[in-house]
Amino acid sequence: MKKVGKPVFLIVVLLIAVMGWLTVCGVSTRYGDIKTTKIKSIEDIRWGIDIRGGVDVTFAPADGVEATDEEMKEAENLISLRLVNLNITDSELYTDYAKNRIILRFPWKADETDFNAEAAVQELGSMANLTFREGFEYDEYGRPAGTTLENIVLTGADVQSAEAVYTQGQNGTTQNMISLTFKDSGKEKFSEATGRLIGQQISIWMDDTLLSAPVVQEQITDGKAQITGTFTAEQAVALAEKINAGALPFALVTESFSTISPTLGLGAKNAMVLAGAIAFAIVAVIMVVFYRVPGFVAVIALAGQVILLIASLTGFFTLFPAFTLTLPGIAGIILAIGFGVDANIITAERIKEEFANGRSLDAAIDTGFKNAFSAIIDGNVTVIIVAIVLLGAFGPTDSLFARLLSPLFRVFGQSAAGMIYSFGYTLLVGVILNLVMGVFASRLMLKSVSRWSFLRNPALYGGGKQA
Amino acid sequence: MRQWNINFYKNRKIYFAISLVLVAATLLGALILGVDRDVQFRGGVLLTYSYTGDVSSDAFAAAAQESLGRPVTLQESTDLATGRQNFVISLADASGVDAAAQTALTEALSAAFPENDLQLISSNVVNATIGGEFFRKSLVAVAFAAVLMVVYVGIRFKRISGWSAGLTAVVALLHDLAIVFAVFVWGRFSINANFIAVCLTIIGYSLNDTIVIYDRIRENKRVLGASVPIEDLVCRSVNQSFSRSLMTSVTTCSAMLVVSIVAYFYNVTSILSFSVPMFFGMVSGFYSSVCIAPMLWTVWQKKKAAKA
Repeated sequence: MKKVGKPVFLIVVLLIAVMGWLTVCGVSTRYGDIKTTKIKSIEDIRWGIDIRGGVDVTFAPADGVEATDEEMKEAENLISLRLVNLNITDSELYTDYAKNRIILRFPWKADETDFNAEAAVQELGSMANLTFREGFEYDEYGRPAGTTLENIVLTGADVQSAEAVYTQGQNGTTQNMISLTFKDSGKEKFSEATGRLIGQQISIWMDDTLLSAPVVQEQITDGKAQITGTFTAEQAVALAEKINAGALPFALVTESFSTISPTLGLGAKNAMVLAGAIAFAIVAVIMVVFYRVPGFVAVIALAGQVILLIASLTGFFTLFPAFTLTLPGIAGIILAIGFGVDANIITAERIKEEFANGRSLDAAIDTGFKNAFSAIIDGNVTVIIVAIVLLGAFGPTDSLFARLLSPLFRVFGQSAAGMIYSFGYTLLVGVILNLVMGVFASRLMLKSVSRWSFLRNPALYGGGKQA
Repeated sequence: MRQWNINFYKNRKIYFAISLVLVAATLLGALILGVDRDVQFRGGVLLTYSYTGDVSSDAFAAAAQESLGRPVTLQESTDLATGRQNFVISLADASGVDAAAQTALTEALSAAFPENDLQLISSNVVNATIGGEFFRKSLVAVAFAAVLMVVYVGIRFKRISGWSAGLTAVVALLHDLAIVFAVFVWGRFSINANFIAVCLTIIGYSLNDTIVIYDRIRENKRVLGASVPIEDLVCRSVNQSFSRSLMTSVTTCSAMLVVSIVAYFYNVTSILSFSVPMFFGMVSGFYSSVCIAPMLWTVWQKKKAAKA
């Protein structure tokens, strides 16, 4: 097998150290008050709601209404609109179309101590309150006021549908617009209002939030209207979706609902980080005592493995989203610390045996790695398989792994506990990194240090002293 | 570490007996003590309030009962980390307990005990349908993972008659799952999502151990040829892998032991029902991979040879 240069060990250690520094501290530039993150730091870990505190809620249409997929999509849009209104910016929201359920998780905000989660959930699930109002008067908070507050032209119940459409102008430009269709109940009212308000505005509101305030061009009698303006295609689609959400004929009720206070989780996180540090120290001591040089290399590889695992949680580059880390997720990292030296142990034991077979140091290392490989691969594949099953069973129904396993799980709907998904992720990434660091990086490091003259005594590798 | 030379095959009946006793004790324990499914799996309501000072549990239960309009079950606990007292209100049925009812309850209780700084620290309200579905989904996940394992081992170990290897490995797995279950039963943990996570992890972990040993049997068979009696071949392989199995178990189990101890002292109960069963499951996984699966396989192979 090819020789590995003496400095390779130092290079690998340096790379791990640099990676560790980048992962923990990140890279960002500051220009005045504006901070631009280039590489995310450990601060960017998204803690799960069992650590930060927060709300986990499952909505379903009230009174067992059989909603269509479109209606569920609209209901999801309605909730995401209301989340913005409640100033909840960090949330996980997805719809389980097989079971007509909407799952929402959002954390407590750092500065919010008496946030009323129950009230927020009630508001999120309440019947959509879409109104078309006369004029466009509003108060200092941007809520309808005066004539606009008093005169409601029509409500969401009068709307049949809204759709984003576009027309091609003569000079080749496209104009995006929203095409509205009213129900019979709305046709008359809209005709009356548009007849009376030509040249004035009719404003469209969701709850107390303005969606749009178009100017009436002409009386509309056939119940079909267009909202034109300088919309981009995305804006037009978003507005149409919001109006459709307002036409939803049902309220949402909570099927399951859990809250965790922030005080409960924070101490737990610190305790788990402490446990992780102790576990790492114990594993490091065991490895060095029992396996000497290969053990020492294993500890460095393990450090690299933990660093890369953390990087996979923050996303590292701003391009990749952070992955939510929960208490079971941290337990998964600690499990990976315990299990992460497995590949090194298999190899170190093999190297010992090769010495017993009378091989020289270099031959023992080469053959040891070669013989250990198939066992390492076979063993890790089993853990990868269970990790994928875990991710599929406990993850959001729209995640990659859930889709992969959907033929199996589709009749069951989503999970009533979101914390385990994070464990599946740390388990999966941990095992894959174990292959990278425990086999590839460890081989480079061990072959490199075994060429250092003061480390050429086979006793340091578990061989007989005389060799 | 030294060369091992344990005659596992000679002791096989002792191992089988120990395992059978353990599994029987588990089933017996489950029958006597009963198995408690968590709110996540059966549906229901679990509300945890923390408070300071003295509150009579009867008065608290009465106030909760009045607000909710039905009888409640109350449990008391102390948070070692903060020193505050907790009341856990549980209801078997979640119907009617929506966000509004919960707000009303918290207000009513705060009004009834204004001196005690009452705080709702966690709430869990699960509709029975969702809970039941989630439970079945979890069981399917465990069964599915086990099937995948048999298939994988069967394919990878064709050379040493794969299907018998796969099936004996799965017997060892079921044994480990029984031990995990035993910890939940005897430790009075309710069966929750952690249980499923631990079961799945143990399936992967225990099989990993078994596979490393089977891999060795496969390798030795190739090197030594068919002339060596099968029990010698297996014993030799198990002994060769023994250090590795032991050391990996030591590092992994010590990591989980640390988590259990820290979680116990800091009162992180949600992790305790994860790390403690995981610890025992891993000990069992080590034991079954070394003492059960290869020995069962040997017995099977010998039976087959005797018939032929």
